[in-house]
Amino acid sequence: MRYLLPEIIVAGGALLGLLAIVGVPKVRGLASWILLVALLAAGIDAATMWNVTPSLIVYNSMAIDKYGIAVTELVLLAGISTLLLAWNAEYFGEEFPVLVALSVLGMMGLGGATSLIPVFLGIELLSLPLYILAASRHTAEGGEAALKYLLLGAFSSGILLFGMALLYGATSTLIFVAYPGIASHAQVWLLWPGLALVVVGITFKLAIVPFHMWVPDVYEGSPTPVTNLMAFGTKVGAAIILLRILAFGFYGQASAWGLLLGYLAVLTMIVGNLLALPQTNLKRLLGYSGIGHAGFLLIGIATHNIQGAQAMMFYLLPYGLAAIAVFAVIRLLEGGPGGEDRGVTLTDLKGMAYQRPWLAMVLTVGMLSFAGIPLTGGFVGKFFLVQAALFANRPGFAVGIVVGTLVGLAAYLRPLQAMFQRDGVSERVRTMRWSAAGVVVVVVAVVGTIGIGVYPQPLVHIVSQSANFYWLKGG
Amino acid sequence: MLWIGLLGIPLVGALVVLLLSDRAAKLGAAVVAALEVAAFAALLGGVAPTLNLAWIPAWGVRLHFTADGLALFLLGLTAVMTLVAICASNVQYGRAYFGWILFMEFASMGLFGAVDLFLFYIFWEVVLIPIFFLLTGWSGAKGRAAGLKWLIMNLFGSLFMLIGVVAVAVIHNQTTGSLSFEISQLTNLPVSSLAAPWLFGVFALAFAIKAPLWPFHGWMPDAYGEAPAPVTALLAGVLSKAGVFGFLRVLLPILGAELHAYQTGLMIWVAVSLVYGALMALRQTDMKMVSAYASLSHLSMIALGIFSLTAAGILGATFLMVAHGLMVGSLFLILGVVEERTGSREFTGLMGLNQGAPRLATYFLFFALATLGLPGLPGFAGEYMIMQGLVVHEVGFAVVAGIVLIVAAWYMLRLFQGIMQGRPDHPAVVDMNAGQVAWLVPLAILVAVIGVWPAGITGHAVPSLYHAVHFAVAQGGIR
Repeated sequence: MRYLLPEIIVAGGALLGLLAIVGVPKVRGLASWILLVALLAAGIDAATMWNVTPSLIVYNSMAIDKYGIAVTELVLLAGISTLLLAWNAEYFGEEFPVLVALSVLGMMGLGGATSLIPVFLGIELLSLPLYILAASRHTAEGGEAALKYLLLGAFSSGILLFGMALLYGATSTLIFVAYPGIASHAQVWLLWPGLALVVVGITFKLAIVPFHMWVPDVYEGSPTPVTNLMAFGTKVGAAIILLRILAFGFYGQASAWGLLLGYLAVLTMIVGNLLALPQTNLKRLLGYSGIGHAGFLLIGIATHNIQGAQAMMFYLLPYGLAAIAVFAVIRLLEGGPGGEDRGVTLTDLKGMAYQRPWLAMVLTVGMLSFAGIPLTGGFVGKFFLVQAALFANRPGFAVGIVVGTLVGLAAYLRPLQAMFQRDGVSERVRTMRWSAAGVVVVVVAVVGTIGIGVYPQPLVHIVSQSANFYWLKGG
Repeated sequence: MLWIGLLGIPLVGALVVLLLSDRAAKLGAAVVAALEVAAFAALLGGVAPTLNLAWIPAWGVRLHFTADGLALFLLGLTAVMTLVAICASNVQYGRAYFGWILFMEFASMGLFGAVDLFLFYIFWEVVLIPIFFLLTGWSGAKGRAAGLKWLIMNLFGSLFMLIGVVAVAVIHNQTTGSLSFEISQLTNLPVSSLAAPWLFGVFALAFAIKAPLWPFHGWMPDAYGEAPAPVTALLAGVLSKAGVFGFLRVLLPILGAELHAYQTGLMIWVAVSLVYGALMALRQTDMKMVSAYASLSHLSMIALGIFSLTAAGILGATFLMVAHGLMVGSLFLILGVVEERTGSREFTGLMGLNQGAPRLATYFLFFALATLGLPGLPGFAGEYMIMQGLVVHEVGFAVVAGIVLIVAAWYMLRLFQGIMQGRPDHPAVVDMNAGQVAWLVPLAILVAVIGVWPAGITGHAVPSLYHAVHFAVAQGGIR
């Protein structure tokens, strides 16, 4: 019970939030406060468990280890930033924070899953609230985004479930950490299709090419805070469970899936960044950029070495912080009610560098981190991945990372150029107002991004520990 | 301790300047840059100070800076040119401009001082960012496109270099079992014959783009042309040195054997670049472009000195790096004044400016003569040493370099005559004011002193240069 306390806190907070909405409807925003406190408390509680002895609980279905704890902290960061970005936004409705917390709970469950049951439960719990949240603005675009997300999500869940069934048929167990031991007498003709389908199902969530089609429309149509949760939280959940399944359950077959996923990763990096180039809507830009970054994450899995696992864990945080920074800028530019009806485009950034230098700085830090420029966390992440690729003796992956980065460069630089346009100041930049919650988010994101870039050692240490235990198990 | 000052003054200064008002920013930035010059002067007094701290122990990355003979005067060049560029800048550019200039000073200082390959790479890329923003925010009509071109072309080189940086460390790890990016530990690597050309290629490509050397100079005309004169002065005077500096700092110790193996090919390449730059300078009608291509030609000359792999050639190259930085930087600043006064960069429309502006013409002539290599001025001393190295190695390249020196006199004098001499058909321009003379005089004195007393620099550089090329000597690379 002690080990599941963070999950229990979040679940309890969600229940309490629901009760508060029903019980004291007069006090607006009470649920937001309850869930904010719950998520923070869960984060602190998870941090105190850092030195726990790794063990399996709940009939070997969940692992308590540093890997899971690190994931918990990451998704809680995503959840808290989402709550703060949506702070005081009335059109989200009172149930908004509860749904965010439930989605975060699903991601937390994925972090520790060692059996296919919690994997499926986690992915569904992650997705279902997001389907609702995507439509929470009650606009045509929001509805379209939600429906698209729901249909494709259901489709990928079906594929995932079918794959799991095949894996169960091949091995007669759902506990995937046990697979290496029984792989020798498993039904190979069920095992391989099962693995392929599970990987496809998860890469749908991770938005790996060619399963990325839904991303831009869904990102654009969803309210910005929800997009933030999708871009950061969902990616964390999908990436870490893919790594856990493959490296724990199927390390014997790594030579086969490693190379294949590597090709997919290179394809994803190049296609995602290439498609980001012509985008003028910032949220669509982030959607395609998110596809590209999913490719970078996949490299860390495909190299199948300890550096790769560490690099992927590492990469998640700078990516997430940069995404939070940019989403916060978008959110602040959208301003009050109705501001979201028209997406923030490059022309809306006009004159920002002169009129709103601090906001311009936030966007600069976020974009440079996406582009992988030194002194930002994004660079250290890319460096880590290149290192992993070369240690795995796969220079092709390293070249793929470099080409993918180069292709996407202009996409991240164009918003920065737009800020420096001298012919007038856009309406949005002029009327934009700072909010207290927005300032908190922005400061954390910028300080974190630069902090990781300037002094990465603590994070390197943390990821080496969180991926280390896990590696010993995988052999 | 000194290193913390050298890096901290411009970095903290940049942040402080951002907090000042737009009107006070120039003065504040000038004070910071003057402090930095003072810090460098303190550096000259003592033995080469180093800063060596653990940074990312997990990867063996160290915060390691040294002011050895190779770097010492490039640090000085950065400090002096930044101060001059700030003095020459328009006060109306505002605080962000001066903040970026100081940030660039910080990045250049770090780049020239770094002896850890990871650190070198960090600063190698960081230095691109201020130029990108200066080009985007404070330049002419095509400035934004120039900025994008600058960043993308340079990152193209440096991202592939990133693979090289990591590969070198991984190869080192495979032989010793430990991870280190210390350049002095990365020598004598057992690079496979399959990987060696690629490894050499990625480093050389990045260095050639940054310098730039032909045919990787695509970003140069736009960036030099569009940037405000002080930024062009810093680009051509300071940052272009980073490219050739990389050959000395990184390639010579780490891949010295390959440098030796590819020597002839490399020399042919930079000789072509040398001739190309000179011929292009000869046919330009835009005065900034004449200097830009002249600068390309001179950088090729420096590279030729390095690739001669003789002690004299490398010494001449190190000397010419500093001298060229001062001379070409000043030349761009003076051209900036001319452009400001006449509103034009085309010198076909200008004539006889010396009638109305004799001081302007005099300083122009001084720096033009220095650039073309008049004996007694530093261009000559550097080129002489390079020629000496070339004659020892292969006379053919020395002949090419000699011919180019004649062409250099031709294009520089053509520029001077075109603008300054002849019958004035342009309304008389305002001569230099006291404020401009105030930064030009010390600069001219500095150039003259270096010209008549090159030993002031070479004396410092020789010991550490021999140290730097120690590995190459062992390979039989240096003659």
